[in-house]
Amino acid sequence: MAVIEVSNLKKYYQVFQKEPGLAGSIKSLFKRKYETVKAVDDVSFSIDAGELVGFIGPNGAGKTTTLKVLSGLLYPTAGQVSVLGYTPFDRKPAFQKQFSLVMGQKNQLWWDLPALDSFLLNKEIYEVPRVQFDQTFADLVTMLDLTKVIKVQVRKLSLGQRMKCELVAALLHQPKVLFLDEPTIGLDVVMQQKIREFIKDYNQKYQVTIILTSHYMDDVKELCDRVIIIDKGKIFFDGKLSEIIKKYADRKTLEVVFDRPMEKKSFATIRAAKIKTFTPKRTVFTVKREKVNQIAAELLKSFPVVDLNITESSIEDIIREVFTGRDFS
Amino acid sequence: MRKYWQIFKINWDSVLVYRFNVLLWRVRMMLSFLTIYFFWGAVFSEYSQIADYSSASLLAYLVVAFFLQTLVFANDSFRITAEIATGDLNNYLLKPMGYLSQWLARDWSLKVLNLMCFMVEITALTLIFKLPVFFLTDWCRWLVFLAASVLAALLYFFFSFLVSSFSFWYPEHNGWPLRFLMLMFLDFLSGTAFPLDIFPQSLAALFKILPTTYFIFFPAQIYLGRLNPGEIVQGFLIMAVWLTVFIFLAKKAWQKGLQIYGAYGR
Repeated sequence: MAVIEVSNLKKYYQVFQKEPGLAGSIKSLFKRKYETVKAVDDVSFSIDAGELVGFIGPNGAGKTTTLKVLSGLLYPTAGQVSVLGYTPFDRKPAFQKQFSLVMGQKNQLWWDLPALDSFLLNKEIYEVPRVQFDQTFADLVTMLDLTKVIKVQVRKLSLGQRMKCELVAALLHQPKVLFLDEPTIGLDVVMQQKIREFIKDYNQKYQVTIILTSHYMDDVKELCDRVIIIDKGKIFFDGKLSEIIKKYADRKTLEVVFDRPMEKKSFATIRAAKIKTFTPKRTVFTVKREKVNQIAAELLKSFPVVDLNITESSIEDIIREVFTGRDFS
Repeated sequence: MRKYWQIFKINWDSVLVYRFNVLLWRVRMMLSFLTIYFFWGAVFSEYSQIADYSSASLLAYLVVAFFLQTLVFANDSFRITAEIATGDLNNYLLKPMGYLSQWLARDWSLKVLNLMCFMVEITALTLIFKLPVFFLTDWCRWLVFLAASVLAALLYFFFSFLVSSFSFWYPEHNGWPLRFLMLMFLDFLSGTAFPLDIFPQSLAALFKILPTTYFIFFPAQIYLGRLNPGEIVQGFLIMAVWLTVFIFLAKKAWQKGLQIYGAYGR
């Protein structure tokens, strides 16, 4: 059953454009030019209960704007949005008690007080019964290994510790839907891994519906079966991560090691292969999927090959190509 | 209700966590009072009467005005203006609580703390500078004065909230330009530094209808017994009208503002 349904969502902004310099500043006092930015432009998708969906796209693609609309922070310009059967912008308390939004770059904790104070405040705000609070709190603190830091002023915590505390604050009321906006941003690799493991365990344990945005492909690869790729406010892929390769990766990679140094021009005869990187004893080609066998045979026959390795393009490569403007349509 | 009580408490925690900051805050409050107090003291060394105020009655007015400032103007909710501009408002909009109610709780938390400090400070200042404190003995007038003071605090809250709402449309410099202008007007028109009836009679009609008069001047006049029952009733009615207007406008501005709110900064 769909927990989140979005159809034809649009969110447009009016953005003030100023000419550079003092003259531009003076001119803008009298006359201002506004431009409409289509942050989200006709987006539709649906997410079922318990799904963990990765929402990826370059900066300014419309990911965070979509999450803000789903959370009821932004009023949509057009389209229908339903989360748990509610219209988010109505901001009904019954809805707000069932979801959480965690932003990696901002905090909801009281800066000058220990995180524990914010947790107790959230207990009252979300009207969590004492028994449920105690149980969830103990569970989260153990899972995130936070026993020693909850009584330290938030301002004195490291970024990783703070992020963990943010997660606790967001989960104490046991939300059914969780929006995670770049939860691992700025964290070191060890901490990224810990947060990732936590999200995975939490999703499995509580069957929470999660939308995760991240710039780190590792987050998405490890956590999400399904991804939605968004760019310039539009969705152009929605499906299983493995399908991205099938759909967009029309080339494979051939890594060839030779037993003596080769010259680049000697590969001119293999026209169907593109050289990706060249060194005299090791060269990487990219080859159209259907020509891989033929090219591999040709290389083995005509060159002193000691090793040949055929691999799929990595998801990072594909996404990078997508984001840098390669046209897949 | 418990959530607002928790907010009330946590606000105290966050104020009291920095001792030096609390000390500076109290010094600032006392200095602002003493500056005005000594200014008028100096004026009365040259004149025996200003308008219909003697030295003792004007200085007594200033003490009452000082009390009212600690109650009416003490607020944390001035932060609303920056929260709208910076997008920190998001934190509150996501949670199941009334934004206005939570700020009322935070403001009253600060007001109560401020009043407690005031009691200690005014006692110390009275002993040191022999302030002409006027003790009200008529409990009926006490009740009317307290009702006017609480109403004044609410009137100021919604007025300030309305001013903050402009940040939805003009978020420049976190909304401070408009707030500074408001504070300038308040200094002049609310009666903190002088009673408004020292101005010529021709201005009296104008002051009577301005909402700013009812923040400090009107409750202070009740305390000092300078108003007859008819004037008190009339004052309360005008306050009620302004309060209704400000609540209506604040809620409208809030509804409209949230529709264009950009939730920036995140």
